[in-house]
Amino acid sequence: MKLIGVDVGGTFTDLVLTDTSTNQTIIHKVPTTPHDPSEGVMTGLIELCERNEIDRASIDHVLHGTTIATNAVLEHNGSVTGMITTKGYRDIIHIGRHQRPEHYSIMQEIPWQDRPLIKRRHRKTVTERIAPPKGEVLEALNEEEVREAARALKAEGVESIAVCFLFSYIDPSHEERARAIVQEEYPEAFVTTSSDISPQFREFERFTTAAMNAFVGPKVRNYVKNLEESISASGLKADLHIMGSNGGVATASVVAERPVFTLLSGPAAGVLGGAWCGELSERKRLITFDVGGTSADIGIVTDGRFGEATARDTSIAGFPLMVPMIDIHTIGAGGGSIAWQDVGGTFRVGPRSAGSQPGPAAYGRGGTLPTVTDANVVLGRLSKDNFLGGEMSLDGPAAEAVISEFANQIGLKPHECAEGILTIINASMANAVRSRTVQKGIDPREYALVAFGGAGPLHGAEVAAELDIAEVIIPPYPGITSAVGLLTTDHKYDAIKTEFQVQGDIDMERLNRDFDAMQANLRKQFKAEGLSEDEMKFERAGDFRYAGQGYELRIDFPHGKVDEALMTQVFERFHDLHLGEYGQNYPDSPVELVNARVTGVGQMPKIQAEVVDESTDRSLEAALVRRDSSMFRVDGSLQTFETPYFRRDNLPLNEDIPGPAIVLQKDTTTVVPPTCTFRADLSGNLFIKVGGKK
Amino acid sequence: MTSSSVPGKGDNRRAVDPITASVIQGALESIAVEMGYKLMRMAYSSIIRESEDFGAAIVDVDCRQLCESKQSTPLQSGPIPGYIKGINKSLASRGEEVRPGDVIMHNDPYGGSSHGPDVLFAIPVFIDDKLVGWSATTAHHLDIGSLSPGSCGIVDAMDVYAEGLQLKAIKVFDQGKKNDMVWHMLRDNIRASHLVVDDMEAQIAAARIGAERFIALIERYSYDTVMGASEALMDASEKMMRDAITKIPDGVYTATGHIDGYEYSENPKEKNLPIVVTLTVEGSDITVDLTGTADQVDLPINMPFEGTVDVAIWLTIRSILVDSATVGYVPQNSGLTRPIKIVAPKGSLANPNFPAPVIARFTPGLMIADTIMRALAPAVPQQISAGVGNLKVIAFSGLEKGQHWVHMEIFEGAYGGRYGKDGMDAVDTLYANTRNNPIEDIESHLPLRVNRYEMREDMVPAGKWRGGIGAVREFTFLGDGGYSVEGEGHLFKPWGFEGGQEGDPATLRFDRHDGSTENLPSKLPYRAAKTGDKFIAHGPCGGGYGKPLERDPEDVLDDVLDGYIGADTAKADYGVVVSGTAVDEAATAKLRQSMAAQ
Repeated sequence: MKLIGVDVGGTFTDLVLTDTSTNQTIIHKVPTTPHDPSEGVMTGLIELCERNEIDRASIDHVLHGTTIATNAVLEHNGSVTGMITTKGYRDIIHIGRHQRPEHYSIMQEIPWQDRPLIKRRHRKTVTERIAPPKGEVLEALNEEEVREAARALKAEGVESIAVCFLFSYIDPSHEERARAIVQEEYPEAFVTTSSDISPQFREFERFTTAAMNAFVGPKVRNYVKNLEESISASGLKADLHIMGSNGGVATASVVAERPVFTLLSGPAAGVLGGAWCGELSERKRLITFDVGGTSADIGIVTDGRFGEATARDTSIAGFPLMVPMIDIHTIGAGGGSIAWQDVGGTFRVGPRSAGSQPGPAAYGRGGTLPTVTDANVVLGRLSKDNFLGGEMSLDGPAAEAVISEFANQIGLKPHECAEGILTIINASMANAVRSRTVQKGIDPREYALVAFGGAGPLHGAEVAAELDIAEVIIPPYPGITSAVGLLTTDHKYDAIKTEFQVQGDIDMERLNRDFDAMQANLRKQFKAEGLSEDEMKFERAGDFRYAGQGYELRIDFPHGKVDEALMTQVFERFHDLHLGEYGQNYPDSPVELVNARVTGVGQMPKIQAEVVDESTDRSLEAALVRRDSSMFRVDGSLQTFETPYFRRDNLPLNEDIPGPAIVLQKDTTTVVPPTCTFRADLSGNLFIKVGGKK
Repeated sequence: MTSSSVPGKGDNRRAVDPITASVIQGALESIAVEMGYKLMRMAYSSIIRESEDFGAAIVDVDCRQLCESKQSTPLQSGPIPGYIKGINKSLASRGEEVRPGDVIMHNDPYGGSSHGPDVLFAIPVFIDDKLVGWSATTAHHLDIGSLSPGSCGIVDAMDVYAEGLQLKAIKVFDQGKKNDMVWHMLRDNIRASHLVVDDMEAQIAAARIGAERFIALIERYSYDTVMGASEALMDASEKMMRDAITKIPDGVYTATGHIDGYEYSENPKEKNLPIVVTLTVEGSDITVDLTGTADQVDLPINMPFEGTVDVAIWLTIRSILVDSATVGYVPQNSGLTRPIKIVAPKGSLANPNFPAPVIARFTPGLMIADTIMRALAPAVPQQISAGVGNLKVIAFSGLEKGQHWVHMEIFEGAYGGRYGKDGMDAVDTLYANTRNNPIEDIESHLPLRVNRYEMREDMVPAGKWRGGIGAVREFTFLGDGGYSVEGEGHLFKPWGFEGGQEGDPATLRFDRHDGSTENLPSKLPYRAAKTGDKFIAHGPCGGGYGKPLERDPEDVLDDVLDGYIGADTAKADYGVVVSGTAVDEAATAKLRQSMAAQ
């Protein structure tokens, strides 16, 4: 079977083809076409097939990571969107939780007030009201009002409509009926209901998630439709699958209905790719460390499982988002992060980034601010002529100039200053890792750090040292790990139902019924997509808290019918996890099941380990490009080392090589500090053994 | 690192390089964030977990705040250093000492606390038997054993004894041993104590984590280095504040605000009370003098000088002069407050004598904050907002199966217009930054119905940049229970600025199940409620900024299309003629000209 992963980044569109019958992998890169990314995707697909003489019709699946929805949110250029909501609650998405984003600011912006997804004029109210706990209908849905609202929105030029009623997570029938009416009145409109997108309590967050779906819906729907048409017009017979934030793929038609599930999918593919590379070397506990120009994304993988973010922690552009998502911690720290002095004089690095335009001073595109990349250049850790495999050369004097100027301003020597920039950025990256490990009762020392992205391998070893992590893994193609990640996914759909059932009074029958219904729905979806029974797998879980608390923890349910014994087991797991996460538990307090969840996984073919090319000349001599001086802090002082630069492809296999060393390859540079050793692994990974701390 | 890991005798505050200072700052911040994160997630009461009315901080041996959690509300983290001072004072007066393994509980409003329900749990942090600092958390508890249920709306307390338990440096753990008797006493004297005590335990767990992390930080970098870095950070924060103050022309800036007090009182000294601010700027120093502010009263709207008045002043000045939207994120620490001196006459509302009651100090404190902004407005007109609408808390309660339920809901205010921006609509204000409770949570867990939650459509204070608009919220009792009200801002309009209209006060109506109706004052002690009784709360609107005739006609049109004002108001207030869904530019120009001539 032949699969192609296509990941659209800011500058390049990366493609990886794998043939599961030969385990052969081919890589291709084309420029991203920002006005319509599908053009770049198509160019890449066609070129990849042509250059490698692959029959287009032989491609089975195209797996695609897209930022169409993300960009529409970040640039706030989605559709003209309307809302139909319960009478009396027109402004839930305007008032929010009535909290200001900043404590100490008069001049701040409130995203949902200053940049509304749906303007008030397009928020129409209708008579209807459902009440807890069982969905009692206090007011029947006034269908005529829905009809009038739909007509009014159509007349106002609204293209997309979110139907958001209170308590629809208990009973979605009012929302569903309203959607049907809107579709009758205005068939061209994109219509979303809040219970379909995220049937969970907390109205501001749910309505906002639905509004976001409606806001980006038409754009994503058109994009997916165009891309599917182009794929089939070009003679490819492949199915299109699109990556979601939950770490799985969905069919193009599912994504066209629920684009909000793709909003945070870019970093998700990176975590999957990093995890796959770590597992190639049989490492089961991994911290994925994906560093680009502006941000670092950190994910935790334990025995093949990813953490999932809690619904209350996910947001985009300042808006809360209640969607299933891999727990990824993103901080504003990357190669382009700018070093600066705040108004009090404190030395800071990031979160502001020079991006790729103008980029670091070393890019020679007119950047005048000192960045992390410039610091790496000044310390001799980035090869001036071998950047991006020689496609771009770095301007050393420009980097020296901006660093010297900043050093002067802050009262340090230039090299000390450059190393200080790295120390500060590495410390904030290490803090980010701690927040997902130490702070959750996980010991990072039991994990390996998988460093990738353009800048991950530059910083991986020093960040690992900061955390007492012993091993760093650099994947074979660190710059395209996300595209590789796309080839490791399964179909994944999540179903959720708010339960609010308390220990001691749990209605087992209802719970079993809810689980079964969710599972049946997912099965139906997979069947429609042509999956067979043995290709599907279902996992059940619940969101639990002590009755009275406001935040939940996810607990997996053992297989089998839910009964007293099974619930006892689940409660035990909850007490243990609560202790691990927070350092405290209350074993005598009753536990509440807030949401029941079923995740359906439909198996997809996947990329396999690549066979190492035996014909390559592998030795230190063959790999050595040149020697040059670079600087590292050892035993507390900054010292200059005569450092070999190696070409990665020619490194000998399974041979320990002492640091310091700089390893070059097309899409990134790996830095091995003096206290470390490294070796090239049979799996294609580079292994760094982290030595004494500085 | 060569220096020892414990405090030395001599000069232990050696200079630390800027790189290490920055790294340690990041580490301290993540400690406080972790404390806050865990406390909020473990907490039971909605006032902590949803409203986020809690604080967490690390404080040094000299009672200076090194870092605070970002999630918490400023009125909680800000006072923590003052609490620690209060603990030290109480212990010293009794001849007691802190020891390793102690956990100390404290809520004394005359010893650093903001008011009794905000209980602090502090862990003295020791390394090798030497005190190196404190890890502490505060939280607003549902009930602290006052005369009526809840911990808001106790507006008729005659002295601090009526406000509930006074806990002055009580060791709930003494050298590692749990003091069970204290916990029994807490359980027996607090309503809904199962929630309150579990929340207290969560506070202790979070403070323990802070202590552990602080020890690890010192063990890694040495005490001298951590303190040296903290010193550098506080100096940097101080410099930031001083630079900002220096930009203000030297001089005396004054303003007066008024609080409702007790509208229904027969004693004139208990209503329409002045808050007077005289702010003197001299070089890089500010002195805030509250002389002229009303005398203290025998009702709980007096404000602890330390814990409420100081925090209100510090945080307002900081939000204006070191605004994080303008200068970027700046950590809050004690350095920021060094250039500010505060004077309040003893025996005034702003510096009461023990045992004057203080439990309802929240909303008068907001008036101090607003009046500070009003005084500074002419000096920094592009950094302030016009008058801010004050807040209100309603405590709902009842008995179900012999157990108390208590729910405190904070009702939002609104900011005034700002230079280049309209006021923020329907938000928590100034030193408060809590959250509302989701309707779907309230109705799922309490015998209450939220009948309405949306924006007011009857009032938009006009201005070149209009005032923020308030919200309307309605609550109905689905069972018999009780309520009390603690708020401000029913009588006095938020101030307009440079030609902007004044804002609009809040109102609170009570519709009984029997059809009778009553407009309630901003403060009301506990009353029983019957099934079907309903509150209708209109939030205040902030003041307008600048002349309405200068408002961009397109912005006026937006408010018309969004249903906040009618076309008639657009004409009358702004001189903008709206025809259909567009501005009639010719008619507008003409109308504005004639209005300007008047």
